[in-house]
Amino acid sequence: MSDIASLPIDELKLKSSASRNFWAELYRNLRRNRSAKAGAAILGFLVILALFASVIATHSPIEPLLGKEPGAKVRKPPCSILTGCTEPTHWMGLDLNGRDVFSRVVYGTRISLTVGATSVVFAMLFGVLLGLMAGYAGGWVDNLIMRAMDVVLAFPSLLLAIVFVTILEPRLKGTFFYNLFDQFFGEPRLFIVLLAIAIVFIPVYARVTRASVLSVKENDFIVAVRALGANPMRIVFRHILPHALTPLIVQATLGIGTAILDSAALSFLGLGAQPPTPEWGAMLSEARAYVFTAPHIVFFPGFFIMLTVLGFNLLGDGLRDALDPRLNRS
Amino acid sequence: MAKFILRRFLYSIPVLLGILILTFALLRSIPGDPCRAILGERATDAVCDAFAERYGLNKSIPEQFGIYMGRALRGDLDVSFRFGRPVTELIIERLPTTAELALLALTFAIIVGIPLGIISAYRHNSWLDVVTMFGANLGVSMPVFWLGLMLSYLFGVLLKDTPFSLPPSGRLSPGAYYDPFYISWGLAASEETASGLLVFLSRLNIFNGLVTLNAAQLVDSIRHLILPSIAVGTIPLAVIARMTRSSLLEVLSMDYVRTARAKGLSETNVVIRHAVRNALLPVVTVIGLSFGGLMSGAVLTESVFGLSGVGRMLTDSITARDYTVVQGFTIFIAVTFVIINWIVDVLYAFLDPRIRLS
Repeated sequence: MSDIASLPIDELKLKSSASRNFWAELYRNLRRNRSAKAGAAILGFLVILALFASVIATHSPIEPLLGKEPGAKVRKPPCSILTGCTEPTHWMGLDLNGRDVFSRVVYGTRISLTVGATSVVFAMLFGVLLGLMAGYAGGWVDNLIMRAMDVVLAFPSLLLAIVFVTILEPRLKGTFFYNLFDQFFGEPRLFIVLLAIAIVFIPVYARVTRASVLSVKENDFIVAVRALGANPMRIVFRHILPHALTPLIVQATLGIGTAILDSAALSFLGLGAQPPTPEWGAMLSEARAYVFTAPHIVFFPGFFIMLTVLGFNLLGDGLRDALDPRLNRS
Repeated sequence: MAKFILRRFLYSIPVLLGILILTFALLRSIPGDPCRAILGERATDAVCDAFAERYGLNKSIPEQFGIYMGRALRGDLDVSFRFGRPVTELIIERLPTTAELALLALTFAIIVGIPLGIISAYRHNSWLDVVTMFGANLGVSMPVFWLGLMLSYLFGVLLKDTPFSLPPSGRLSPGAYYDPFYISWGLAASEETASGLLVFLSRLNIFNGLVTLNAAQLVDSIRHLILPSIAVGTIPLAVIARMTRSSLLEVLSMDYVRTARAKGLSETNVVIRHAVRNALLPVVTVIGLSFGGLMSGAVLTESVFGLSGVGRMLTDSITARDYTVVQGFTIFIAVTFVIINWIVDVLYAFLDPRIRLS
């Protein structure tokens, strides 16, 4: 009978079925999770749309088709396959200015994904720092930071975002990122929307991080590292932060979905992207008065908002299940 | 118990003060002169000087803050720049619309969400569970304003000549007028002589219809509110359903449920009397927290359905730089939120003895 002790080291490694690597295990758990797979599929589709928008879109998202095609009448009325129009190339119909809705929706994917992801990254940068400080320092620092977070959370997020957009806009005109967004998307106000949403979300990440810090702060290994005389910064970033990553990943994924909804809401209220930028919320705002006669202009952008947010929610739920240490997996 | 209530209340006070300070700071940061924003072409220097004098805008910031805090703590929310009327009057005028909408939406969310969550948990992993949870996910992912627009198209256009058609905007049918209850009951002669509270209550159409036993008003107001309530209530519904399901799943795996079944109690008894009561505790917290979502939803739905409520006035005032209205409404909303959270905490402690004794 072979003795495990006599096996060469390489064979031992092959024989162990559970990989110790965190990321490998996470990937394995995710692959088995239905929700994560569905979410990843949806998001994969949307990322492809965003990256290859210039190839996939059939027309320009901004130029109105004012009878530029040969033999066409000037200013075609809005029409779609839903109302019996016979234009095969306009899969989602035309909007009020004669622009192809499908192309606008496809280009809008770029904007939404960028704004959503970037605002969450910004929010996490500050939120995590604040949460680490509050959790590790404790005492009056913790109290002060958490009360401040409570105050911000006491306001409905959309209202606070509206106020921030109004405050930040004149201040940020002409700054580097403002011009960057102008160059890249043709809509500098997206940067303002992004910042406003990021500020409103900071308390969420601060709270999550603080909760994680508190749960590991008194563990033996932290006490040991402290006894060894490690610098507090090192303790926080090298030893404590990795434990906060798990809930943060889940919260960030779900947060991108919420950020996309909020940015669409701000554009819908006229405070974010303006026409002709192909941002989904702005498209809904434009078409709002015409929903009874041309519902397709309202339906498709909104449907894509829902699809995107659904993708992030499914992925976030899947991540939460995959990262949950309580579920027994072989 | 009383100590707990007091402790939670005292805990809220720094938050309330913080809200007042933050609102003031944010609004004073909004660039642009309110005088010129509101009066536009008529804003000459002399007019704006008088404006600044009247509203104390020419005083130093600390002085303005002192006056503002003194007034706010006494419940005086100043006068609107745009309308020249007290902000509290504007709140009383607009709040019934939003309150009715929020309450109806929350009722819808609770009445549909909790049973859905219970059934999902009980029939865990069945097709019903999967469909319900997918539906809940979908509900949470939908933009409120899109749902509102789609619903108004569905019920206002597609189902127009059927018995299912619903009006897509407004609170009451155009031209409809119903006597306020204080006039029918002889409590006051007219709106001017009636107290603020009576006027406020009479503006709640459903309440007014009920107390005056006016079926026409009741039906009219409910028909107008169904679509906005569904739009606003969908997200809280999804959240409540998910929370109920996960909470009940946890409870159903507990030992005492197994004991109850072993004792021979009927399944209904076990689930409803033993399991659900304990599972509903976290749901109470979630219901309290959805107030924030209801307010945001109300802001968006009010503009879609043409309801003149608090949310709409707030967004209009922000863009119009009407400081006092924004201040007053924001404080009102935030304070209401804090009070509701406090009530939820107390309720939670009341329902779960472990909390109040810890």
